[in-house]
Amino acid sequence: MKTVAVFFGGRSAEHDVSIITALSSVIKPLELTEKYKVAPVYITKDGRWYMHDKLKDIKQYQGSGIEELLASIKPVSIDFDGGFSLVQSTRFGQKRMKIDIAFPAMHGTFGEDGSLMGLLDMANVPYVGCDLQSSVVAMDKILSKAVAKEAGLPTVQDVTFSASEYHENSSSMLDRIEQELSFPAFVKPPHLGSSVGVMKVIDRASLTEAIDTALHYDNNVLVEKAVANLREATLPIMGYGDTIIPALLEEPLFNSDEFFDFDTKYLRGGKGGKKAGGKMSGKQGAQGYSNVPANFPEELYAEVESIAVAGFKAAGCCGIARVDILIDEKANQVYFNEINPLPGSLYAHNWAKAGYSNVALVEKLIEFAIARFDERQKLITTFDTSFLKQF
Amino acid sequence: MLQATEYNIGSYLSWFHRTRDFSKVIRRKSLVYTQKAMLLVFIGIAVYLTTIIIAILIALKGGLAVLISAALIIVLPVIIAYLLVIPLVVGQYAIQKPKERRMLEAAQARLRKQHCRKIAIAGSYGKTTFKETLATILSETLHVAASPGNMNTPIGLANFIQKLDGSEDVLIFEFGEERVGDVKRLCELTHPNMGVITGISEAHLSSFKTMEAVTSTVLELREYLKSYDVYKNGENEFITAVIPASDHHLYSEEGVNGWKVSKIATSIEGTSFVATKHNKTIWAHTSLIGRHQVGPLVACIDIADKLGLSVTDIAEGIKKTKPFEHRMQPYTLLGATIIDDTYNGNLKGVAAGIDVLKSAKANRKIYVTPGLVEQGELKEVNHVKIGHMIADSDIDEVVLMNNSVTQYIAQGMKENGYQGHTRIVDEPLEFYTNLSHYVASGDVVLLQNDWSDNYA
Repeated sequence: MKTVAVFFGGRSAEHDVSIITALSSVIKPLELTEKYKVAPVYITKDGRWYMHDKLKDIKQYQGSGIEELLASIKPVSIDFDGGFSLVQSTRFGQKRMKIDIAFPAMHGTFGEDGSLMGLLDMANVPYVGCDLQSSVVAMDKILSKAVAKEAGLPTVQDVTFSASEYHENSSSMLDRIEQELSFPAFVKPPHLGSSVGVMKVIDRASLTEAIDTALHYDNNVLVEKAVANLREATLPIMGYGDTIIPALLEEPLFNSDEFFDFDTKYLRGGKGGKKAGGKMSGKQGAQGYSNVPANFPEELYAEVESIAVAGFKAAGCCGIARVDILIDEKANQVYFNEINPLPGSLYAHNWAKAGYSNVALVEKLIEFAIARFDERQKLITTFDTSFLKQF
Repeated sequence: MLQATEYNIGSYLSWFHRTRDFSKVIRRKSLVYTQKAMLLVFIGIAVYLTTIIIAILIALKGGLAVLISAALIIVLPVIIAYLLVIPLVVGQYAIQKPKERRMLEAAQARLRKQHCRKIAIAGSYGKTTFKETLATILSETLHVAASPGNMNTPIGLANFIQKLDGSEDVLIFEFGEERVGDVKRLCELTHPNMGVITGISEAHLSSFKTMEAVTSTVLELREYLKSYDVYKNGENEFITAVIPASDHHLYSEEGVNGWKVSKIATSIEGTSFVATKHNKTIWAHTSLIGRHQVGPLVACIDIADKLGLSVTDIAEGIKKTKPFEHRMQPYTLLGATIIDDTYNGNLKGVAAGIDVLKSAKANRKIYVTPGLVEQGELKEVNHVKIGHMIADSDIDEVVLMNNSVTQYIAQGMKENGYQGHTRIVDEPLEFYTNLSHYVASGDVVLLQNDWSDNYA
């Protein structure tokens, strides 16, 4: 039986969301396949790695249990032994677990952003989801928009700049934003997910404040013109190579003058708060308050789906990702917005409606991971030369 | 395990002798701490501790005594397994049996005073559904009482009889049978004046040993009710083998006793048909699922007609019938339709369920079964047949609970070239508890049969 290591937690603002993704949508379904031995690898907020069967139990994380458990076990270390093994010190020596497949279930920095994928590439182990390159593109809102534009996809008008450019002459940058975009607009730190640090601005004062906030999170800033008559849509997609499978278009429900910040998304169960669905769960999805499938006219649905799929391909995504779309309903204009390379809880609620059970979803994702790995094994990455003989 | 076998000592010992690995025998249910269970646990612990003390005292003598003590401790679990039977046997003969005898006498005396229509339902399968359907229809205009759940033993029925208020127009009794003479004994307890034989199958073949014994036991109802109407399932080959086709009370999807059935339509939403007899026409619609429901329903129509219900009342009554718990009972899970038929325990029922799944419109058709228990010498043949049915029914995924019949179902599927996906599950409870992880919108999932721990 092959061992699948599921990585979750991590040094990220979305640490807790990652725990839910791993426990509800990855570990349990993987175990239910009865095909794999599942090793939970929990990464603490300060970056230590732990592996223990008790880490599969949500109750461990709901009180002080997790601290007590972690105090009783040793962190694991990594061994690149011609593959990828996790090594744990025990009273009786070392316990070594060879990992056959990795399943990253991490959101945000040091996990979803390509860092973990780079490590797994180095270890030459198959892993689920977007690879290093596509994760980097997807997790950078500026870069992903540039890639989408290059692919001919419509995007919302924006102004981007670095911290040093802003600090060099903030006044002229603010002037430029006002002239090119006008208000309202959105200020975003380009590398953070789950709307962390995103602010809606309505005048120069709020713009200045939002940029200062964004620069606490990132060295670059993306300011986007707000889309009027807004409807949003999001589309989970999975696939590799020629096989691209879109789930159902989902429309988060909220008024056009509002947007979902982290608190709304994860802590209040969507705009309707607890009454509308309570805390986030895998069944409800990150938004917890949405229409699946989106109630769009047939033509609009097809257009949104096609732009989302094109965005997935343009960024080179593989495995699974979720593409967000903005729509100006009156102008009938659809915009590519951003890509989330690891949707919360894999957006399992949406996939279930699209006909993929949780078990079928993880099985499919592992299929894609192995197909990509096998394909990459065929590539030549080294060759013999006489270069060193010159010295 | 004694509790799982309902304190049936024979079944318990049979399980004990058959089981080789006792490390993991509880897969489906856990112990419920009833008074009886607590008493047995207490006796077990007391015997255990006493024996340990005795063993230590013996061992203190040294030499060979140490070996004897060690041997005593090693065989202790086996001794306790047998010793637990003793208080049960004593309890049964000293307390339970005299109490039961008094209950049965009281029930007989109680029924003698009540002159009403008493309908007995016997058969290897389909009894509970028939009973509930008939009770629902007749209740449109009559005061009906039916034995609850599957309380179909003499004591179960005696309990039911004691609760009657005497004003009932119709009493409906479900008869259970496990040994030759069981149906006759229940007839003598309840004195029915109308009967229904719902079908004969290999259920309980382990205790009956032969199909002849099963057939003759079920037909004890017909013997008892010589001068009364006995409805029989004309779609059951064991019945048609012994009952002439000219019998007016043979019911089927074509009709019964002059009623003709037409325009049958079935889906996972329900079943509808038209029944006509002379100038009477009934447009029947029920949420009961499956074409095999039509025969029993038309038999209910004839009984209701005989007891004076109008066609309107009968149609209304049929409309109120609905699937019963764990018997082709549909529910929705994450947009998937789950059909719970886990109380089904016979090959005919398996065929009917698979037929419904075959005709269902679904994204994926998933069939889940542990197989059938108590199939006696037909265990292999019947499970190979189930495999054949699966392979011939356009089913996308089959989930088998790993046990002693899995190989036969898999063999049948292979023989008929099954093309879909097969999943063999080692932990049934884990599967059923996490069903939501296995299904998706548009799936139709049929859960059939049940397989408690004592059959593993």
